[in-house]
Amino acid sequence: MKPILEVQGLTRIHGTECPSCLDMTGPEHNTNVCPACGSIVAAANVSFSLQPGEILGIMGESGSGKSTVVKTLYFDQAPTRGKACFRDDTRTHDLFELNSAEQRWLRNHRFGMVYQNPNLGLNFSISAGGNIAERLLMNDLNHYGDIRRRASELLTRTDVMVGRMDESPRQFSGGMQQRVQIAKALATRPPLLFLDEVTTGLDLSVQARILDLILEIQHELDTAMIVVTHDLGVIRLLASRTLVMKHGRVIESGLTDQILEDPQHAYTQQLVASTL
Amino acid sequence: MTPILETPFLETPILQITGLAKQFSLHEQNETVPSCSEVALTAFPGQLTALTGPTGAGKSSVLKCIYRTYLPSAGRMDFHKANGTVVDLARISEQDMLQLRRTELGFVTQFLHCIPRRPAEEVVAEPLILRGLTLSEAVEQARDLLTRLNVPERLWRLPPATFSGGEKQRVNLARGLIAQPRLLLLDEPTASLDKTTTARVIELIRAFKQAGVAMVAIFHDPELVAALADVEYRLAPPQSLPQPTPALETASS
Repeated sequence: MKPILEVQGLTRIHGTECPSCLDMTGPEHNTNVCPACGSIVAAANVSFSLQPGEILGIMGESGSGKSTVVKTLYFDQAPTRGKACFRDDTRTHDLFELNSAEQRWLRNHRFGMVYQNPNLGLNFSISAGGNIAERLLMNDLNHYGDIRRRASELLTRTDVMVGRMDESPRQFSGGMQQRVQIAKALATRPPLLFLDEVTTGLDLSVQARILDLILEIQHELDTAMIVVTHDLGVIRLLASRTLVMKHGRVIESGLTDQILEDPQHAYTQQLVASTL
Repeated sequence: MTPILETPFLETPILQITGLAKQFSLHEQNETVPSCSEVALTAFPGQLTALTGPTGAGKSSVLKCIYRTYLPSAGRMDFHKANGTVVDLARISEQDMLQLRRTELGFVTQFLHCIPRRPAEEVVAEPLILRGLTLSEAVEQARDLLTRLNVPERLWRLPPATFSGGEKQRVNLARGLIAQPRLLLLDEPTASLDKTTTARVIELIRAFKQAGVAMVAIFHDPELVAALADVEYRLAPPQSLPQPTPALETASS
């Protein structure tokens, strides 16, 4: 089976890059700020592949560059360098070579994103149903009745009370806002979903139900996912393979059970040891 | 067509391990902890290969290396796949290992690790769902196996978190057995079971051998080894490694 996504050498540097940026940052220097020019190396030379229907975990502390990876792939940020190929049925899209209209099309039709902060994923000035309708409209569903039906189907699937679909998501609890985001992301049945710290900051019981929902969706729709989190429990539950990042670098990757039971890198060993 | 001589299936091993070693490099403590070394074993379809030896001899490590939960430090593990090709489990890609886990390789660990909040019958059914069966087909087979393993029906719809040790172990076994892998790794599968259930497990293991499944198993009970094993490999604790060199010590200080 061919990978749905292949990323090579993805690099994102904030600031005026200098020749020392990559040599003087990273886990061995214990910083991602270049001492020579002050640029921030958010991610450097990140490479991985993802199979259709697979869940890949990206684990690391804040500032490790894990969110940068998904944000560049979702076109929220432009990479400094690197290549990413998305394979869709028969076509291969070279993501960072596309023009902005093509990027927008992929974002709206083939990708889904759930942010840690619902403010980023949802428009609070329109209703929950409206948020979903927006995405459906971009996918050429134009009939009012059809849109409403599909939106309520999606909200039902993600356990949001359909009776509240005309309210603004601002009035919803954190867990419900995440559910609306998930419903919105799923509206187009995307083959690739990005989840950026989706359960961080939620109550444990709410977290658990969201994680269950994500797993159910993966079973039902065979959606490939990249799950970004600092939470080892989330990784253990969801991901079959895991990348560990620190100071913008991938320091270790492997099968999730191997990363958790036989971590190789000093940092991963520390991370795993500190959760037990 | 000229008839070819049929090779007795016993002569083609499913797994050949040579020179397997595992040691852990603990960075924080600046120490290398040996777990097993110089392990060589061969497993055949329809046979149970028992790993025995004192605690600390690295028996579980061998199983975990085969399954890639541990990265082996040295050695080869040639696995003969169903399609006739031979792959070295120590070196195949992560994707290939995941694929083998779904189709040919099973592991019953000492403790049940499963998704919380999911009913026992679905926990057991999961490997079949990953192979593409529908939930209802998979659950039907799961119930059948739970019955054979003496798990009371009232527990089937409940998540195993609240089960007793023995009940969890049976759910764990059922989950490992349900997909009938070609090679099954068993880490003390009867450790917390009563006599009746142990007898049922023995029956099941025998049925698996009949069906041609190869097993590599750790048992502590010599009676079980005598009853089930075709071959026994006794592991000795690995030789302790030389003390860290002065150079390493300087580096850490």
